[in-house]
Amino acid sequence: MRLTQYFAEAFAVLAGNKIRTLLTALGLIIGVMAVIAIQVLGAGMSGAIQGILGALSDRTFIVLPNQQQADFTRAAIRLSDLQRAKNEVPNVVDAIPAAPQSLRGRYGHTSRRVTVGAGTDERFAATTPIHYGRKLDPDDIALARHVCVITEKAAVKLGITGDPTGSSLRVGEHRYRIIGVLGKSNEGILPGPVAADVAIPYTTYEREYARSRAIVFVRVLMDDPSKVADTEIAMQNWLKRIKGGRVEYQTFDRKSFSKAIDGIFGAVTFVVALIGAVSLLVAGIGILNIMLVSVAERTREIGLRKAIGATRFQVLLQFFIEALALSAFGCLVGMVLGIAIGAFVNGQFIVKLSGITAPIPWVRSIAIATGFATVVTLAFGTYPAWRAATLDPIEALRYE
Amino acid sequence: MNDYLQLEPADRAAIDVRDVTKTYDLGDVKVEALRGVTFTITRGEYVAIMGPSGSGKSTLMNLLGCLDRPTTGRYFLDGSDVSTLGDDQLAAIRLKKLGFVFQGFNLLPRTTALKNVALPLFYAGINSKKRNATAADQLREVGLGDRMDHKPSELSGGQQQRVAIARALVNDPAVVLADEPTGNLDSQTSEEIMALFGHLNDGGRTIIMVTHDEDVAGHARRIIRLRDGRIVSDQVTVRS
Ligand SMILES: Nc1ncnc2c1ncn2[C@@H]1O[C@H](COP(=O)(O)OP(=O)(O)OP(=O)(O)O)[C@@H](O)[C@H]1O
Ligand SMILES: [Mg+2]
Repeated sequence: MRLTQYFAEAFAVLAGNKIRTLLTALGLIIGVMAVIAIQVLGAGMSGAIQGILGALSDRTFIVLPNQQQADFTRAAIRLSDLQRAKNEVPNVVDAIPAAPQSLRGRYGHTSRRVTVGAGTDERFAATTPIHYGRKLDPDDIALARHVCVITEKAAVKLGITGDPTGSSLRVGEHRYRIIGVLGKSNEGILPGPVAADVAIPYTTYEREYARSRAIVFVRVLMDDPSKVADTEIAMQNWLKRIKGGRVEYQTFDRKSFSKAIDGIFGAVTFVVALIGAVSLLVAGIGILNIMLVSVAERTREIGLRKAIGATRFQVLLQFFIEALALSAFGCLVGMVLGIAIGAFVNGQFIVKLSGITAPIPWVRSIAIATGFATVVTLAFGTYPAWRAATLDPIEALRYE
Repeated sequence: MNDYLQLEPADRAAIDVRDVTKTYDLGDVKVEALRGVTFTITRGEYVAIMGPSGSGKSTLMNLLGCLDRPTTGRYFLDGSDVSTLGDDQLAAIRLKKLGFVFQGFNLLPRTTALKNVALPLFYAGINSKKRNATAADQLREVGLGDRMDHKPSELSGGQQQRVAIARALVNDPAVVLADEPTGNLDSQTSEEIMALFGHLNDGGRTIIMVTHDEDVAGHARRIIRLRDGRIVSDQVTVRS
């Protein structure tokens, strides 16, 4: 039993019918490609987001009223609540409004819309690299200075080249001295409170923006990061108490964010991979169909092979290996395309935008895609081969 | 088993058929294609089987070729009883002891003459070098030494049938079976093929051939005539 010989013949048959082979393999190619690319991109994306979240401080969490509740107005948080919280809730250093404002920023002759957020000192901030100058420090906060740290993206937007520290940026009605420019990483993907274009001391922010507006969500700064779970519960309970009981709040910290994102990406990857799997299933039915056609077309050939002494197993093997060769061709092309697309999109977009190169489970992704394709082929390739093997040689030879 | 000795095959018989019947059961009707035929063919014989259409010639050939089993009766091929073997055992017998030549040639398209001839050797598990060498020898023997790399579509009908004959011979079978080998050929080419068969028989091959054509049958040394599933005559031909 020379398997290489069977494969050589199978490839010769497939090569002799190029268009049919290509069209049949196309389903498999697309399926394998999609399953690999989706898994790679899912891993790259969630890795990037996890990486960004990993840079977030363990010493903060976010609290906000539940969207669905009977008395949403009553649950609304006011600036005065926040000032009480830091005195009344244990482990809370401060609670600050966390939703950034979109305002007009002017630098020199350039005028652009920018988001302004409440910045904290380094203990509570993401570990973002700094390009120029320094980050906000406790004195900036304590004295509510008119200073700001901008992101590199904002600097580009405002036409700033080189080191702008010391110069002044006008935002809305106010002027702030630029004290630092943050590195490019982490920009854009993080939720507003951390990734505002322009961060000013939160004390300044409260005085100049928070008084006139509703507080959408709150960032709580903690003393002891190990007590985050207790502090979240304490904060929720305290808010319920001062608001009168029938209100609901939710909290997010780095870990629960991370978990939620994992869940979302896990679910999305699973669903898309499932669609890929269905397309592989359809491809398998295509293979089944074309192999049945092939067996029918070559009935006389099968009769002849059996007449000259091929056993049922040898005929089975011939057609089975033909299906396998077809599938191998589809898998290989799909694999190359899937890897290429996955690597390209991950490298050009995800890694470039996030600055984070997440580990990609290449082997697992390829194994899942090709493994499933193989199982499908085995399942659908066996029946036509069995049909061929069990043909009666006399009838097969008489077949027109 | 007092008739045990009777079940021993006749000496030197390549083929020993005893009271063989074949009935096709089509549900409502039973077609008795063979109603009890008995004969022996010794090694080196050249036999033509003749008879009107539907008389059971192909049915008999299929049995002789181990493509089918008799409904009743015994069939000894080359000394062993093959009437009750299973499918794969019959395949092994066909591979080792039989060579087939068909009316429609039945060559694999898009496959060279050499590869077509080598096919039985592939199923015999012989390595490709030896396969090709043996197949090439066989093609030379049927006069196609210069057509080895031609595909069936590039060969004439007579040449295609020669390739098929080479394929039938390549595994050195005990018996060559041909069901209307000249049915698709003009008389000129038929003569060529018959000459080749005569040559092979002179070399010691056992040949059994079905034909409708008295001229073709005249090349054989013995003619078995069938009618309604029975042998009606079995004569040695007088060679002109
Ligand atoms: N597979 C089958 N099922 C049912 N009946 C069959 C089958 N094969 C042959 N027969 C019947 O058996 C009888 C003998 O058929 P067979 O093919 O042996 O004839 P033949 O002598 O070869 O005829 P021809 O010269 O036309 O080829 C016919 O009546 C035919 O209809
Ligand atoms: Mg017939």
